[in-house]
Amino acid sequence: MMPHILCPGCGHGIVLQALLRAVASLELDPDRVAVVAGIGCSSRLAGYVDFCTLHATHGRAPAFATGLKLARPELTVIVITGDGDGLAIGGNHLIHAARRNIDLLCLLFNNAVYGMTGGQVAPTTPQGSRATTAPRGNPEPPFDACRLMIAAGATFVARGLAYEPLTLQHLCMEGLRHPGFAFIDVLSDCPEFFGRYNRLGRGPEMLLSQKRRTTAVGPLLARKPALEGAQVATAPALPTGVLHRETRPEFTRLLLAQQGEGFP
Amino acid sequence: MSEGSVLIVGVGGQGVLLASDLLATVCLDAGLDVKKSEVHGMAQRGGVVISHVRFGAWVHSPLVEEGQADALVALEWAEALRWSAFLRPGGALIVDPVQIVPPAACADRRTWTSRYPPMDPPSTGGRGPQLCLIPAQALAKAAGVARAANVVLLGALSTRLDFPPAAWEEAIRRLVPAAVVEANLRAFAAGRDADPLPLPPPGPRVAPGGERRFAVAVVSAWCKGCDICVRICPQDCLRLDSLGLVRVTAPERCTGCRLCELLCPDFAITVGEEGGAVVV
Repeated sequence: MMPHILCPGCGHGIVLQALLRAVASLELDPDRVAVVAGIGCSSRLAGYVDFCTLHATHGRAPAFATGLKLARPELTVIVITGDGDGLAIGGNHLIHAARRNIDLLCLLFNNAVYGMTGGQVAPTTPQGSRATTAPRGNPEPPFDACRLMIAAGATFVARGLAYEPLTLQHLCMEGLRHPGFAFIDVLSDCPEFFGRYNRLGRGPEMLLSQKRRTTAVGPLLARKPALEGAQVATAPALPTGVLHRETRPEFTRLLLAQQGEGFP
Repeated sequence: MSEGSVLIVGVGGQGVLLASDLLATVCLDAGLDVKKSEVHGMAQRGGVVISHVRFGAWVHSPLVEEGQADALVALEWAEALRWSAFLRPGGALIVDPVQIVPPAACADRRTWTSRYPPMDPPSTGGRGPQLCLIPAQALAKAAGVARAANVVLLGALSTRLDFPPAAWEEAIRRLVPAAVVEANLRAFAAGRDADPLPLPPPGPRVAPGGERRFAVAVVSAWCKGCDICVRICPQDCLRLDSLGLVRVTAPERCTGCRLCELLCPDFAITVGEEGGAVVV
């Protein structure tokens, strides 16, 4: 199986490693962890892990994961999706999973482009940057995935960097512990399409530049109090760390209670 | 003592400013005029923090001149020596002999050996200062708050000033965060009762655990030559070879920081302690 299919310098492998370390540090039983992925570079990673895995249709990973969690509530379900997969094709499924507050951890690998299909404009491509379908620069403003998820009702929203793997590991651990819909927007990089088309350098340069585009919300991010919504909007650079945290009834429990069944 | 000059010094984060605030409060409550001047804001860089406190019936200048301080309260050994010239002959040098090595004095990141010099205590007796070594950090830890070393030293200082212990305790209750007031009161009492350590202070610091060596294992079959580890390694241990694959060219410089392992997208690098198990 190894080496994996990802291009040299692609940050997705670093993110996967951080997720695996998070699962290992929480000492979760691999047979009781399910990874659900859609289609795309990021979603290919489900093929490399020794958990229960489900490779779903494009954008529908949150929907498959919702079904899986309802059928087997005792599983720890992790959704791996990309920015195109999760925010464009599967945008609906993502916001409704957040609205229901079902107990999933959703990792959105954000490399600002459709990597697998050849570098087309994605909903997260920054305005003005070039892609194969926007040779004169992308005229559209991008999504801020975290603000979208806060608005949709996710109860744990964070942003991590591939450049900060240990912090990312802690964010994943917090997300896995969170009882409800946990969403982490992970800034990764695509040197092959996004980096090359926009002259941003190869893997190392793109990785190092993440630090310049972001501001951390406190050093031990996961333990810090959440940033208020207004501050997220006015922050000069992309904020990283835990951006939102609230407590709301979890969907699986609500449904089981309605049916008069206890939570296993 | 109805008038006096006290210098409080330490490294950023040790509580120099709180200690000087406490002393100033005690003096104010006793109806004295107090002036205080401090160098602060250095804590984030581990820099030096110093606070002058002068009190009396009427104080004109907040600054203590060289050779004029009645007492020097130092939270760190090198800082005590650095400022000891400010003591007047026979002044009290109240110091915690703890050694904090500044990052700039770190000679080797692999072994953590430092250039913190072995420093002899200033000559005592006669015209020299009265040296009072207090293991403040240890006493503070025993009292329940490791950070209360400043209050322990104030306890030691209080035995040389005329203010009653109740005045000090009142100031602690007012200025210290409520959650740690009790622990700070214990620390203050411990400082008052502490027996000064005998000379000399502990010698230069040695590397914890001796010299450590690390082994970097690369699975070449998985390496795609993306160059991230080569660029990220702070010790310049790795290089790309003619095939574009990573080779460990200077393993002896590795400090075991694991940045290469953490940032390898291809799971190709493992850092282990030499002699330990390295999974390839």
